[in-house]
Amino acid sequence: MNAATARILNALGLLGLCMVLIVAFVDQIVLGDLPCPLCILQRVGFVGATFGLALNVKFGPRPSHYAVVILSAFFGALVSTRQTLLHIAPGTGTYGDAIMGLHFYTWALVVYVAIILGCAIMLLFDRQFFGLAEPAHGQSQSQGGLSRSGAATFGLAMVALAALLALGNGVSTVLECAAGLCPDNPVAYQLLPGLQLPQH
Amino acid sequence: MMSIPFFGLLAAFACVFAGRRRAALALWALSMVCLMVLFKLHATDPLNIVL
Repeated sequence: MNAATARILNALGLLGLCMVLIVAFVDQIVLGDLPCPLCILQRVGFVGATFGLALNVKFGPRPSHYAVVILSAFFGALVSTRQTLLHIAPGTGTYGDAIMGLHFYTWALVVYVAIILGCAIMLLFDRQFFGLAEPAHGQSQSQGGLSRSGAATFGLAMVALAALLALGNGVSTVLECAAGLCPDNPVAYQLLPGLQLPQH
Repeated sequence: MMSIPFFGLLAAFACVFAGRRRAALALWALSMVCLMVLFKLHATDPLNIVL
């Protein structure tokens, strides 16, 4: 696997993680499920993992960039493990809705493990690290033609989408929790007290 | 306060677009420290499990 292929795979990984964050946003905005504090921290872990993939897309694949992804996923997994253990015993309640049989925090743990596994598999391919780091944009058309340029544009679009989701989550968290810590069981946006949440 | 890691990571993304890799990594590290501090502040209840 060369650096260009690794970049494309990292961009696809970015797309997948962005979809995870978008699903969480849809659940929050359309279905009115406000994220709990631990849920918000798990989103931070996902955004951190997208950041590592973005480094690979923009600066070229490096082991340290994969380490950023793995560490972010590890920190996020710590949070989701705690939340899963909080509710693992029958009768101890749950938080939020289940999707395909599992609650969001359990899915988060599954996805974090998948991220770490995916990075370990990517790290098996040494040839991606041998090429010189090259900018994601402005590559020579003669070396890769239109397809390489298109892949670079796709990669940077995914980086932009991930950055947009970081902004969206930041703004959403400010609206929900204001300047302090979030309540354990949020029922309304603290900065939008009159807003009626969708019922489901 | 819980939005700090998101805005830290947003700033890290801005550094990525600006080509400032080291600054981006420093902001990511700070955001992860914030994440762990906030986690410690919220992980207060004992877990009802036997290991």
